[in-house]
Amino acid sequence: MRIAGLALGLSAVVLTAQSAVDPGAATAPRMEFVAPAAGSYQLQRIQPVRDAILLTASGTPTHLAGVTSRKITLLTFFYTYCADPLGCPFAYTTLTGLRDRVLAEPGLAGRVRFVSVSFDPTTDTPQAIGWYGQHVSADPRFEWQFLTARSVSELMPVLDDFGQDVSVETDAAGHPTRTRHHMLKLFLIDASGEVREIYTLAFLQPQVMFNDIKTLAMETERATTLGDQP
Amino acid sequence: MVHSRRAVWAALTSVLSLVVVAPGSYADETCNSPYITNLIKGQEDYVHVWTLGVQGLGDGSDKLVTIDAKPGSPYYGRVVGVSAVGGRGEAHHMGFTDDRKYLWAGNLDDSKIFVFDVVKDPAHPTLIQTITDLPAKTKYVGPHTFYALPGRMLIGNLSNSTDKGGVTGLAVYNNKGAFVTKYPMPTKDIGGVTGDGYGYDVAINPAKNVLLTSSFSGYNNYMRDLGAVIKDPEAMKHFGATMVVWNLKTMQPTQILSVPGAPLEIRWNLVPGQNWAVTAAALTSKLWLIKEDTPGHWTAKDVAVIGDPSKTPLPVDISITADGKGLWVDTFMDGTIHYFDLSDPQHPKETYHKVVGKQVNMVSQSWDGKRVYVTSSLLSHWDKTGTDNEQFLRAFNWDGKLLMPAFSVDFTKEKLGRPHHMKLTAKPTQQVALASAGGS
Repeated sequence: MRIAGLALGLSAVVLTAQSAVDPGAATAPRMEFVAPAAGSYQLQRIQPVRDAILLTASGTPTHLAGVTSRKITLLTFFYTYCADPLGCPFAYTTLTGLRDRVLAEPGLAGRVRFVSVSFDPTTDTPQAIGWYGQHVSADPRFEWQFLTARSVSELMPVLDDFGQDVSVETDAAGHPTRTRHHMLKLFLIDASGEVREIYTLAFLQPQVMFNDIKTLAMETERATTLGDQP
Repeated sequence: MVHSRRAVWAALTSVLSLVVVAPGSYADETCNSPYITNLIKGQEDYVHVWTLGVQGLGDGSDKLVTIDAKPGSPYYGRVVGVSAVGGRGEAHHMGFTDDRKYLWAGNLDDSKIFVFDVVKDPAHPTLIQTITDLPAKTKYVGPHTFYALPGRMLIGNLSNSTDKGGVTGLAVYNNKGAFVTKYPMPTKDIGGVTGDGYGYDVAINPAKNVLLTSSFSGYNNYMRDLGAVIKDPEAMKHFGATMVVWNLKTMQPTQILSVPGAPLEIRWNLVPGQNWAVTAAALTSKLWLIKEDTPGHWTAKDVAVIGDPSKTPLPVDISITADGKGLWVDTFMDGTIHYFDLSDPQHPKETYHKVVGKQVNMVSQSWDGKRVYVTSSLLSHWDKTGTDNEQFLRAFNWDGKLLMPAFSVDFTKEKLGRPHHMKLTAKPTQQVALASAGGS
């Protein structure tokens, strides 16, 4: 069912796409090493996530901080009609694979969520991201939040806080098109709402990402054991 | 002072044993961090030059100088922007953030880091932030290499605030300019080689999860008059002789490689299946190859000499071509740029050289390899003096056989200072910022 949904979503993406091209490195990530064991290293504390008000797929205003805390969160920005093979579709292939691995890991499934935030509030209405989420990523066993914003002006502080770049392609006459240029980034956020790793294309190595998630889970367990909330 | 330093340089060129090391540049458009996107793979519009101020010359301040580099522009080859930061702190190297929006520029003397916005108006970069807490947060000084990580900047330092020797470490800041963490350079024995704790360049191979670092010398040497350094046998002992292999994910050193002679710039060949790096040892004038011989185990081997080592040419900066098959090397003492064929990295061959000026330090090439830029300044206390103290940026076109002059900017005549590190930018085409694209 999930595979069929994903195929449907991606085919829709291709049909609606314009000439979306991520100007970043045009090669898929390579991994030619054995990933360090989970828990054998510490992830850097890069920055806290600043709160903002976004919209859920049902159109309800929600605090970003509410979906980037209390669980280990993997957050990324997207737009529903992105078709760059090394952009959003590549991210979703990576994320769905990770989701399945998390679900298969005893004790980990309920402690991890994914959050996808659209950076095209004009096109990606709550209804649009709701449809997208249902068809591309729906799995009742796993929390995967799809969010959008009420306006570009309300989205911009969120993008600035994460350091997520995006620009809009223009046509020959200089008018904005629907095509977004962006650097693919996934943000790993710990249960206390702090960004602990950022994966760009060269870093999208699923085994490393999975071990990073487990490392944060083990860190939380150690802190809990010591009576010190993370 | 002036005439004595000239005499020192003259003596240096004739005395092999009087070796010095020179910090060259890190990075150019083919040598940026692999985490940087939006690389310019066509024609660059601007060359930005981080420039040391000279007392009594113009405003005397360190500054970011922007030069129009687009052929056909009415301002081609001319200075179009100057962003002075006030004061002199030994301006040295720069590095882009991963999104290529900001340029971090460091000072080796006061350890300040200046952050410029180079996107809003690339012709006139704007200073938006000055980071001053590196020594307080880390006890390291002399921020040298600025290497983009996703959302962060990895900084390779040269010295420490305690004794200002060469023992130092790496620092990590997030892209907002906040300190994240630090990692000391190893001083223990790893794999039979004892670390000297010195630092210089950093370079990452993501596919191998490997970070390489090199080693130079501390504040006591690089901020001291060159003549005094080379006359001081004790000071001459304090130059790096190691490279360190790090596990990038864990940020733990896994190997220390013996690379005598102050290995400076590091360049990876990241072409799939290659995964080797080169560096130039300044004191011995040798190229070294760093290669994985068995899975997870790396070796360093000297594979070529640069110029005539007996004349102490001092290789400073290197720039690898995008396909990893060629390498530019600048030698400071004889003002010469060399081109090596790296088709067989075990046996690099020099196929071309050209005298560019009285002294050269930095070399950067465009991604397509068709344009090469060279600047002249090494360090304020180490540059040549008198008529040998030429200060310039010189641009060339490269057809694969000859360097043909394109333009030259005289930084003394223009009252700008000593030109050091270069970075290239281009105006975005057919793109606007999301916030200005309209829509609700």
